[in-house]
Amino acid sequence: MRPVIWDDDEERVSDVRQAAQPCFQCGVCAASCPVFRVAPEFNPRIAVDEIVQTGTVAVTGREWYCAYCLMCEQRCPMGVALCEILVAIKNLSARDGKVPPSIVEMMDVIRFTGKVSHPSKGTTRRRRELGLPELPEVDAAEVQKLLEVTGAIDRLTRYREAECEPQ
Amino acid sequence: MKYAFFPGCTIADRLPFIEKSIRLVCPEYDIGLVGLPFTCCPEPNSVQSFSQYTWLTMAARNIAVAEEHDLDILTACAGCFESLAMAKHMLDTSADTRAHVNRALANIGREYTGQARVVHLLQVLHDDVGCKGIEERTLRQLRMRVVTHSGCHLLRPERVLQVDLAEAPAKLDALVRALGMESVDYMDKTMCCGAGIRGVNRDISFAVLREKFAGMSMVHPDAAVVFCPTCFISFEAGQRVVNRMFGTEYRLPVFYYTELLAVAMGLEGTESILSGHRVQGTEETVARAMGHGGTPAQAPMGTHGAREV
Ligand code: SF4
Ligand code: SF4
Repeated sequence: MRPVIWDDDEERVSDVRQAAQPCFQCGVCAASCPVFRVAPEFNPRIAVDEIVQTGTVAVTGREWYCAYCLMCEQRCPMGVALCEILVAIKNLSARDGKVPPSIVEMMDVIRFTGKVSHPSKGTTRRRRELGLPELPEVDAAEVQKLLEVTGAIDRLTRYREAECEPQ
Repeated sequence: MKYAFFPGCTIADRLPFIEKSIRLVCPEYDIGLVGLPFTCCPEPNSVQSFSQYTWLTMAARNIAVAEEHDLDILTACAGCFESLAMAKHMLDTSADTRAHVNRALANIGREYTGQARVVHLLQVLHDDVGCKGIEERTLRQLRMRVVTHSGCHLLRPERVLQVDLAEAPAKLDALVRALGMESVDYMDKTMCCGAGIRGVNRDISFAVLREKFAGMSMVHPDAAVVFCPTCFISFEAGQRVVNRMFGTEYRLPVFYYTELLAVAMGLEGTESILSGHRVQGTEETVARAMGHGGTPAQAPMGTHGAREV
């Protein structure tokens, strides 16, 4: 499947639908899915079936439960990469600002530091005690620019707007 | 061989003792590590799910930085490896995608050209140095029965990454055997540890980890050996959460491979590495494996390590 970088929604949905077409509902993906094993409300096979049947992406929120372990793709006898299809679905819902808060937090940290974590005081001290070199300075402005031109900042703004809307 | 070293956020900011073990071991095999201003790889699940375009462009930027220095990238984290290797695959197999991403990179004056390779330390040690080369440099054998977990993002997608067999990985096992350890097979060996959704759904995420520990504990290992910092934190700190949530009593020491390699090579400074561990009995497990004090590790199985009570 093509990476989700085109703007046309219809084109993307048809991409997803096409990618899911070979599926014959054997269920091997669900049987191999570690998340389905402990949380049967998340069934990757049914997520695919919905798209094939209706041609539309129902945003339920559960697609975010995928741990992206890639086992479904590994085992599918038809070569369907469910995890990639789920990424496409999540991208579509993120575009509308529907994202789990933990992911928004992560994106915010990346936006301002260029990384997903920063060394705590303790780690900085430990690094020095262990004789580790200073970490090369990350240019956060460069990352900000990339987030801006690839639409991530817009997505974050849309998330905040959606947050503020009366329920 | 000189590489652009990509320690990744997790090792650099949270597990400096793992970075230390890598920096102790690599020069011994003439693996040079050059530090470059890399950003987050970025993280393969959350960032890619949020915006695949952003994810791809950030990864392309990191690879471009290494290209500017004529270096290949050496990763030490399965997640960094997956992101950079998958991004590279997408950029190298679609001219459209590459052009699209390069238009974004032009804004920061960079360009992805596809010159740099992306490898993980497991590949360099197993495929280039080789198990024989590893064994020759060890001063002592580590008498331990271990379970290995290579990590989802080193194994899959197999057709692209081609690091090891995704359904029957053997390289990390060969590497631990080179240090004198026994690698024990176990149920759900290639199963995920649940780390990918720790922030999204904590309950589900730790239930997945519980399943993983159930499989490992059945064979009563002395320790688990991983080659990824996320798997490391998931197993080491995560087992306490699993114990609290599900009433289990796991106490399984967890090691990142190069820590044990440094110990087996008898390199200076390994005490300071092991003291960073949080599972009680970790240092004792290593001491026993070296034949110092306590009962030998190969004695009664299940007297320590993972055991469900
Ligand atoms: S394993 Fe493949 S063919 Fe079988 S149900 Fe899942 S996606 Fe469909
Ligand atoms: S990638 Fe997601 S859907 Fe596929 S098996 Fe793993 S957790 Fe399940």
